[in-house]
Amino acid sequence: MDRKIYGLLAEFDTATQVVDAARKIREAGYKKTDAFSPFPIHEMDEALGIRRSILPYLVFAGGVAGLLTGLGLQWFVHVYDYPIIVGGRPYFSLPSFIPPAFELTILFAGFAAVFGMLFLNGLPQPYHPVFNVPRFALATREKFFLLIETKDPKFDYEETKRFMHSLSPQEVFDVEE
Amino acid sequence: MTNFEDYRAPEEISRWRTFALGIGGLLSIIILVIAVIFPEQREQALRSWLLGFIFWGGIGIGCLGVLILQYLTGGAWGVVSRRILEAGSRTIPILFVLFLPIMAGVTYAYEWTHLMDLPVVVHRQPYLSVEWWIFRAVLYFILWYLMAYFLNKWSAQQDQAKDFDQAAKLLADSSKFSGPTMVFFVLVVSFAAIDWVMTLDPHWFSTMYGFLFTAGWGLSCFCFVVANLAFLANKAPLNRIIGKRHFHDLGKLMLALTMVWAYFNFSQFLIIWSGNLPEETTWYLSRLKGGWGVVGAILILFHFAFPFLVLLTRDVKMRAKWLASLAVFILVLRLVDMFYLISPNPRISTHGKSLELWASFSWMDIAAPLAVGGIWLWFYFGELMKRPLVPVNDPYLGNAIEHGKGH
Repeated sequence: MDRKIYGLLAEFDTATQVVDAARKIREAGYKKTDAFSPFPIHEMDEALGIRRSILPYLVFAGGVAGLLTGLGLQWFVHVYDYPIIVGGRPYFSLPSFIPPAFELTILFAGFAAVFGMLFLNGLPQPYHPVFNVPRFALATREKFFLLIETKDPKFDYEETKRFMHSLSPQEVFDVEE
Repeated sequence: MTNFEDYRAPEEISRWRTFALGIGGLLSIIILVIAVIFPEQREQALRSWLLGFIFWGGIGIGCLGVLILQYLTGGAWGVVSRRILEAGSRTIPILFVLFLPIMAGVTYAYEWTHLMDLPVVVHRQPYLSVEWWIFRAVLYFILWYLMAYFLNKWSAQQDQAKDFDQAAKLLADSSKFSGPTMVFFVLVVSFAAIDWVMTLDPHWFSTMYGFLFTAGWGLSCFCFVVANLAFLANKAPLNRIIGKRHFHDLGKLMLALTMVWAYFNFSQFLIIWSGNLPEETTWYLSRLKGGWGVVGAILILFHFAFPFLVLLTRDVKMRAKWLASLAVFILVLRLVDMFYLISPNPRISTHGKSLELWASFSWMDIAAPLAVGGIWLWFYFGELMKRPLVPVNDPYLGNAIEHGKGH
């Protein structure tokens, strides 16, 4: 082969077909797989064996970090660095510290959610080989695609291609690097 | 045409109904007899009855509010819980009957009725007088009844709808009606909360009070709906309809309202704490001293912190039994919250002093909520059995069932 192959891409007409095919791909033991659809398909995570994202834990950690930052900042300013009596309240007056601490909790949790999501998805990604297949543009309109990467330990060009044809797709494409 | 028999509530509800009426009726008679025979017990009996009424009434009126809400937001959770909300909203008449003892005994329960010379009470004339207080209470019930009446009427017509267009039009009508009605609903709840609970302390006022009850009663309602659905979900007919994701969605709403409840409570506290004015802080001082601080801490930990952290996890929200257990737990804490709002208020028998926690607590604070609850649940279950458990002709019923099946 003179050209480098990134993987094999199969095109499907309906969501039901693509989910059934994804199940078969997982049962056949392929791991480095991906699916593309114009709208979210809830069954797809389970069909392809995609594990739950760790994003919720990142968001929680971000929230806790925000809370501690908020309280720590106010403690540093009002108790340690520049103690000043405001309205006759004690230096460390927790009730009035809660709104800023709450805001920082939300802010940091929000940052963790957005940037964590981008990081876990590997975004921004200016180039991805699947776009070398012209028909892949239809993934945002009406077609469903399944991908098996050459990196997969079970990948064998001839055999995997035959296997993908057996899933009765519309067509199977070679995805060039 | 749809076979309504397929969606009838399970028969065992009628056994629960009889049981609830037995407990509620017996305890009500005991409390009533005590209140009639011993005049010195009347204040406590009415305070406890008010506690039970505000707790259970909050669920019924909360059901009306969430019924209005789900017509505005749409969503699968609203379609599958609509018949529970409707049955809850149709309990307004029995809530009025349960309110009659408080109306009759207003001069035994509310200190301001004896303080007509007090400047703050004089200033609030004629608004804060017994006649106007009773007039307004009747008005609140009429308004709530009308809101519930129309939404229930159209929903019943939808069950009889001949075709899809008619069913869709009835749904659209309900949604249009719900927009302005929501505004009036929150206003009526605010006025009722101020009249029935805030005036227990004639000196104190808070502009956050109405929202405390709107959020609290909404939370009560969601917990009640989750407990009901979990109970019905593994029996015909709802076992074909309710799915994990319905509980997931309702769990998210429980989380949201838990946070809103805490947010409103803290807002009220922060403003009064920062202002540090004697006329406002008395309310919190009487709820921090004499053992009441422990109740406040329990509320912060178990009405907010614990449910908040548990509801963050998806697994709890998706498992009906876990979510329902938490819902019942929150409902118990809702009762503690109402006890914390009602019981430390000044009493007539102590000439306006607040009692310490243990002096204030009476066996009737448990018996009266059970009495009110028994009668209310008896009526509620009766209403629940009158209609199919799902809105059979709702245009979104199919989508709602499909939505629940996801993992």
